[in-house]
Amino acid sequence: MTAVKEISMISKRFGDEFCSEEASKNNNSRQSVKRNKEFNKSEKWQNIEKTLEQDPVDVSSLKQFAISPGGLLDDELRKEIWPKLLDVDVDNIPPKPGIEVLHGHRDYNQVVLDVNRSLKRFPPGMDENIRLGLQDQLVDLIMRVLVNHDELHYYQGYHDICVTFLLVVGEDVAFALVDKLSLNHLRDFMDANMDRTKHILNYLYPIVGKSNPELREFMERSEVGTVFSLSWLITWYGHVLNDLRQIVRFYDFFIACHPLMPIYLAAAIVLHRADEILACECEMCFVHGLLSKIPQDLPFEQLISKAGDLYLQYPPADLAYDAILNFQKTQSYAKARSKNLQKFTRNKKIDKKHWFIFDHDRKNGFLKFTFWTVTTAVVSAAVIAYLRSFEWEW
Amino acid sequence: MSDLNNTDLHEEPESSVTVIEKQAQRRIFKIIVIGDSNVGKTCLTYRFCSSKFPDKTEATIGVDFREKTVNVEGEQIKLQLWDTAGQERFRKSMVQHYYRNVHAIVFVYDVTKMSSFENMPGWICECDQHNLNRDIPRILVGNKCDEKEKIAVNTNLAQKFADSYNMPLFETSAKDDEKANHVDAIFMTLAHKLKNAKPMMPPYLTVQLGDNAQRRGLERASTEERNDSCSC
Repeated sequence: MTAVKEISMISKRFGDEFCSEEASKNNNSRQSVKRNKEFNKSEKWQNIEKTLEQDPVDVSSLKQFAISPGGLLDDELRKEIWPKLLDVDVDNIPPKPGIEVLHGHRDYNQVVLDVNRSLKRFPPGMDENIRLGLQDQLVDLIMRVLVNHDELHYYQGYHDICVTFLLVVGEDVAFALVDKLSLNHLRDFMDANMDRTKHILNYLYPIVGKSNPELREFMERSEVGTVFSLSWLITWYGHVLNDLRQIVRFYDFFIACHPLMPIYLAAAIVLHRADEILACECEMCFVHGLLSKIPQDLPFEQLISKAGDLYLQYPPADLAYDAILNFQKTQSYAKARSKNLQKFTRNKKIDKKHWFIFDHDRKNGFLKFTFWTVTTAVVSAAVIAYLRSFEWEW
Repeated sequence: MSDLNNTDLHEEPESSVTVIEKQAQRRIFKIIVIGDSNVGKTCLTYRFCSSKFPDKTEATIGVDFREKTVNVEGEQIKLQLWDTAGQERFRKSMVQHYYRNVHAIVFVYDVTKMSSFENMPGWICECDQHNLNRDIPRILVGNKCDEKEKIAVNTNLAQKFADSYNMPLFETSAKDDEKANHVDAIFMTLAHKLKNAKPMMPPYLTVQLGDNAQRRGLERASTEERNDSCSC
């Protein structure tokens, strides 16, 4: 797989110091200084320009530039390189369909609602008329993709991805790029439902657990789930970061990598914040509150390297089993609990007083053991079939 | 994704040990806020927790969490507000997790948009499907009533609907500064209800004693069940 190769190359250049989780924990500040010295922007710029002069252009070198520290450096370079990375022909972009077609789509009203509320995504201080014009373009851009592919469904957050492309490359090229991405990297988010999105989120715990089992155990015990990272994944962090520079840097990385890379980055962020998380009350609201807000001053370049490193150490294929297990576990739990409560609320003989006791007197370890035994048995039986149907080929 | 607004109205300088002890005694109530997209769920919760209208609101993706500690009849109570995404795809897949162990539900519609009111039975039905104890407090909030010329949902109609589900109706505006006290009053009404309706063990202690996934509601997981769902 090419993405593996790319990251492997980068990892060789920058990854040695990140190979060991322990080393990375102990030497973060020293590494960061070292990295800054290694990364020479003007030299990288020259190398990128040299690569762009070649005909045909070496796309794997461009991917390497997109992944390595600093990414593609500048929006002018991005305008040129993003289409090449996605194999998009900017000279043959289909014309925009008529207004009646764009506005007649089933998702049009939701798109307008979300775009109208996307003020935060435009640079502060932007002239209102310019911003309003861009918001109109954003609606058109989104609708063009949706109209072009009837099988794609709009989700709240898709507009966060589209606005990033709009601001960097303009409406037409943004359409061509997002159109391509929607059929590839973003495809799983655009089903009629979010089952596949949920499945991708299930990769988070296995990745975290491989690096830091204690952290995984803590997070599972807190029942925080994975929804705190949902907006990270489906907006490619566009919804949660304030600085457009940082967002486009991530986009360089994600465009050049495997579609699951955003979840590896999520794991890198969670692992980076392990101490904070473990110091937290082991309860859903506390952990969710902490994690859902990404500090804007995280060492993002370092986290990108860490994500690449995690990808190499624990490739998706190695995690598929664990992710399915995780999925099964949460499903079994939800189903079992749901059924149990249904029965309980129907049982009129049990009055509120008993309900109260039932709700709070649950310390029977045997039941816990039974549940996991049953779950494991059910999961084991289902997993082989699932493994075959969930092969990840990108 | 989320604003964590811990606005403690009665914070006093105390030693950390005392603070922890007090927190241990403080009751926590989990409230889920649901309704169609763009009815103002985020603005309502933000207004209550931060005492202001947010400058730039965005679509909520998944679930946001805010909290505020309030004083109810001399008792410090922490209200956790779970602000959910309105788009159907999220509520079908992602929001379910957050229905668990809620103590109260706030249904929100937009008084200027009839469809958001017409969808209310669907939301209520969904709650019932999540097997929430039907005795837990539920309130209906019609938001955006500052937009007087655009009002599409008649108060009498909304009141009849609320009565039929045995819940109080509040019409308010998260945006209107003059109504800021009103928004506070709505949540405080809920806090009073919760305080008086639930003479239970503090959730904080419950957590400490190990009230975890396996122990909440799974005791009878393997017993025979039948569906108890509403007609929607």
